[in-house]
Amino acid sequence: MTIATGHAAALQRADIKRPNVFQQMWASRADYLYVLPAIVVMLVVIAYPIYYTVELSFFKTPPGLQLRDKVFVGTENYSTILSSDVFWKVTVNTFIWTIASTLIAFVLGFGAALALHRDFVGRAILRAILIIPWVISAVAASYIWKWIYHSDFGVLGAVMVQLGLADRQPNFIDNVHTVLPSLIVVNIWREFPFAMIMLMAGLQTVPDQLLRAAKVDGASAWQRFWHVTFPHLRGVSTVTILLLAVANFNSFIIPWITTGGGPSNASHIWITHIYELAFGRQRWGVAAAYSVLLFAILMVLGYFYVKALSGNDKQEHGA
Amino acid sequence: MSSTGDITTPRPRKQIDGWRWTGRIFLVIMLLYTALPMAWMILTSIKSGFAAMQFPPQWWPTEPTMASYQKLLDPQNSVGQDFLRFFWNSLFVSFVTTILAVVVAVPAAYAFSRFNFPGRKFLFFSVLLRNMFPAVIFLVPLFILMRWLGLVNTHGSLILTYLTFGLPLAIWLLKGFYDNIPIQLEQAARIDGATRFQAFLLIVTPLSVPGIIATAIYSFIGAWNEYIYAATFLTKNEQLTLPVGIQRFFSENTTDFPGLMAASFIMSVPVVVLFLLLQKYFVRALTEGAVKH
Repeated sequence: MTIATGHAAALQRADIKRPNVFQQMWASRADYLYVLPAIVVMLVVIAYPIYYTVELSFFKTPPGLQLRDKVFVGTENYSTILSSDVFWKVTVNTFIWTIASTLIAFVLGFGAALALHRDFVGRAILRAILIIPWVISAVAASYIWKWIYHSDFGVLGAVMVQLGLADRQPNFIDNVHTVLPSLIVVNIWREFPFAMIMLMAGLQTVPDQLLRAAKVDGASAWQRFWHVTFPHLRGVSTVTILLLAVANFNSFIIPWITTGGGPSNASHIWITHIYELAFGRQRWGVAAAYSVLLFAILMVLGYFYVKALSGNDKQEHGA
Repeated sequence: MSSTGDITTPRPRKQIDGWRWTGRIFLVIMLLYTALPMAWMILTSIKSGFAAMQFPPQWWPTEPTMASYQKLLDPQNSVGQDFLRFFWNSLFVSFVTTILAVVVAVPAAYAFSRFNFPGRKFLFFSVLLRNMFPAVIFLVPLFILMRWLGLVNTHGSLILTYLTFGLPLAIWLLKGFYDNIPIQLEQAARIDGATRFQAFLLIVTPLSVPGIIATAIYSFIGAWNEYIYAATFLTKNEQLTLPVGIQRFFSENTTDFPGLMAASFIMSVPVVVLFLLLQKYFVRALTEGAVKH
């Protein structure tokens, strides 16, 4: 149906001279009513903050955020950021955090989805349990893991001592070398179920006949996966990876609640650092400039994101 | 697919079994990774403060106690009063957000799926782009905006904000759903004399109930679990939602881990129950909408 109507519409458009954009807008004025509520909410809560952040990034404000007293400083905020060592350290952390979390969560979720695809006793229960970490709040998750990692009474360290893997209680999150990997483990714990759900949904769209035909032709399990299943999952995989990457790039709660970015900035990522600059040290202008830099990076990521998400968006003509 | 016996392949069985065993072992590892932290949360929550602070830890509580739960859920003492109020606040904010999100997302998704008005693509992309931006960036400007609207320290500020971060994915999810509902149904209704809005409300909306339920779950969970805005917009103790309330409360009592675990458990129960009850709609909405090509 999509192809048929789309084709007819294309023909129509080619034949008839297009009315100008205002006439079109007027003709479809009723259509806007449907999207109006969404757009109004978005404008208020998005367009204004973006404008405001860009403006603020060129000013210096007193700690109390008295906006009347802000001073124009040009690009000073930007040069402050780019010349600070902390910025580069946090940037490296952010990339390690985003890439490691995204890839490992995706691979684990993919594996779980494949393993759960075949029916077996207890499959529904197992699937439900695996999804739970994604549903519970990140604040709860952070506290659970903070307790597991506790430097005196943490159960993980105790298990390692009992098994002889460590001679005394290891310090996971108060150690600059282990804190970031430890937090990535928490993040993956919370995120792999999302990848699992997406790919489980994707797996159901792989045609059974193709798999059976491949089997009749003597394709091995791996060949069936690589040549039939995987190509069908390319679209959903791209979307999943992008959604995970965006979520990870923007994550805040887990590092903030668990370590607050410490020790000595070892677990700060961009977002927690911006938050600390703004609300901790009240350096609003610098935080705003930081946010603008973040925008720039996100816009690049956003290009791919929108492209992937609107992949199944075909131009259709409605009633 | 599940029966391997009906087609005899020249492959030796051993290899197929190898893949299957890899899958099983992998699932067991993932189950341990997922479930053990949650089990430890529950085990800790039924210990006394003293029992929790031992080394090596009590793997199984020797004297299980519900004291932490009683303390949190007892409306007579001050801790229980606060906690129950946080719980109620979270419930209220999440509930209102969910209803508004559905009311706003359904027509928008329908329009993006069916109509072709100028700027449709641009608007759809802007809606999707919202998801790109982290909450922290919007905090300061939104705080000023809320102050200007007089919404600081009200739940209205949270509802308005939560609405926007839930909307993009909700619209995207629902649009995929509408894309797959045959347009002929509406055309038939139109021929029978229904207006366009009637066709949307009476024909298409009932068919999209699974998508709407999925959207609702998504909004509810998002609102229930949100932390940053709640921590910024609310300062009065009686307004706090659960994530912020728990954080404020236990940053003063850093050693009460059984209490903290009990609070985390209680906070998780509503969303987990809701999701487990309705998860089939969620998966179905993804399968029939977003993921389908």
